[in-house]
Amino acid sequence: MTVYSFYIFDRHAECIYKRRWLPRPASIVGKSSRNESPAQSGPAGTGQTMRATDDDSKLVFGTVFSLRNMVRKLGGDEDNFVSFNTSQYKLHYYETPTNIKFVMLTDTKSPSMRIALQQIYINLYVEYVVKNPLSPAEHPGGVGVNNELFEESLEQFVQTRVLS
Amino acid sequence: MAAPPRHSAMLSVSNAAATPQSGSSDKSQTPQQPSTPQPTQGLRVPSNRKTIYDRHLNRSRNAELSRASFAYLFAEMVTYAQRRVTGIQDLEKRLNEQGYPLGLRLLDLLFYRTTTTSSSALSSSSTSSSPPNRPLRILTLLHLIHGPLWRLLFGRSADALEHSVSPDTPNEYMITDNDPLVNTYISVPREMNQLNCAAFVAGIIEGVCDGCGFEAKVSAHNQPTEMWPSRTVFLLGFGESVMEREKVLERAGIK
Amino acid sequence: MPSSTRTVFSLIIINKAGGLIYQREYQAGLRSLSTNDYLVLAGTFHGVHAITRSITPKLPLAQTSPAITSPGGNAPVGFTYPNPGVPASGLEHLETEKFRLTCFQTLTGTKFLLFTDPMTGNVDTIMNKIYELYADYVMKNPFYQLEMPVRCEAFDRHLGAWLRGRT
Repeated sequence: MTVYSFYIFDRHAECIYKRRWLPRPASIVGKSSRNESPAQSGPAGTGQTMRATDDDSKLVFGTVFSLRNMVRKLGGDEDNFVSFNTSQYKLHYYETPTNIKFVMLTDTKSPSMRIALQQIYINLYVEYVVKNPLSPAEHPGGVGVNNELFEESLEQFVQTRVLS
Repeated sequence: MAAPPRHSAMLSVSNAAATPQSGSSDKSQTPQQPSTPQPTQGLRVPSNRKTIYDRHLNRSRNAELSRASFAYLFAEMVTYAQRRVTGIQDLEKRLNEQGYPLGLRLLDLLFYRTTTTSSSALSSSSTSSSPPNRPLRILTLLHLIHGPLWRLLFGRSADALEHSVSPDTPNEYMITDNDPLVNTYISVPREMNQLNCAAFVAGIIEGVCDGCGFEAKVSAHNQPTEMWPSRTVFLLGFGESVMEREKVLERAGIK
Repeated sequence: MPSSTRTVFSLIIINKAGGLIYQREYQAGLRSLSTNDYLVLAGTFHGVHAITRSITPKLPLAQTSPAITSPGGNAPVGFTYPNPGVPASGLEHLETEKFRLTCFQTLTGTKFLLFTDPMTGNVDTIMNKIYELYADYVMKNPFYQLEMPVRCEAFDRHLGAWLRGRT
């Protein structure tokens, strides 16, 4: 299984975290956050994909937001949109009761990542971001999410998923 | 010129026609040369010269046609007939007129095929065992339409043949088709529910009747049933002259 | 539960401009919306479908061969799609807890949206049959105007009968 990218959107529809992986194992190239983010990092070679990535996150949000509303309209308020796939990728979606949205793009053959996204939320996001006394309550521009513990454990989490 | 040898290699039969042309042609025609021999191998003129026109009429008797291509063609015919019509009756009249000449021509083919292949198919209508005559009485004509004509057109007989029960209209006959081929893919809009596109087939029938010397008006009517939603009744009304002649023939004992 | 394994809730057909041209419900299970809501849904889905294709991950090619550019791409550097042999498509299947949405787009841009039970198998077969019936009873109907709402009684009849026959 290959993971292409991962996004977190907060309840203000803002992308507070995103990360892209390349198919070659253990190499992170497209790692970036919003332009104004102080925690912006990544090798110099990724500048070219920066803008495209930024637009992508808005498109991804628009997509999941529209689909979520459509699904609720048809399936009722308690229905949830789980995933969709195209010929090229599969998008997994998980929404917390507090309206934080976790989105992951993987290859088409991947199994359901619903549990995995939930684990990321419970074991990583809550543990390292919410419980971090230094991180603010809201994360405009991704402040506070880009902390080392969260990023590293996310990296590890995805790596084990890829290998398994 | 380098072109002719390549052509002769490509074409087997038609190069006989292509080579003299290229030899006699002047310079202005040479740019067209590569493209002109191409169509000779196309659908219209196959290389073995066996076009649909060269085929023996009896040979294509059992040849099958694509139902889809017919459906598209017929859909275009209906669309064409729909242009500049004033109403449903006008549209049915146009469809009828499209079918009429077809009926006239089909009759010849029908007779030709029944004489050469099986003398038994129409032997009931003929006085001798050899070539069948054209039908003289209404009933033989109706049987010709119900059976051989329907089989020629649709591969099966029509489903029912009735005479009008009303004493006022002894000249009316009904031929029923439970599922007319022409209407297979057609859904008539609700606001035109009187329309039946089988008016085209009615035109064919009219042509066949006229070709046999039976003046008649033929129309198609919807008579849907639960099982056959597109059931169609073709109403044949023969002219007075035909009915008079019929009486004379009956007295004379001609069948 | 054999009945739920082949449940087809409803079918929507969207023309190439994103307009709703057909909507029928076959079995209860989803909320029914007003005609206006269905029109909005068709338009929304049409847009989302296009976006889902555009957010296809583009994998940069190796730096040693920067000259190669994938066909159809507008990115300045060479990239490839995850499944290189397959053209990038929009949303094809969508799964929720209650239903499964299958979208089939014809080469001419018409979209068929089929809502089924998540357990329903052989959705592709159903979709093929629907496409076949559409080609027969809609496209061959002289009274059907292209891109306009489908009002073909024969299409309704055959599709309904076929879907009923399956269950």
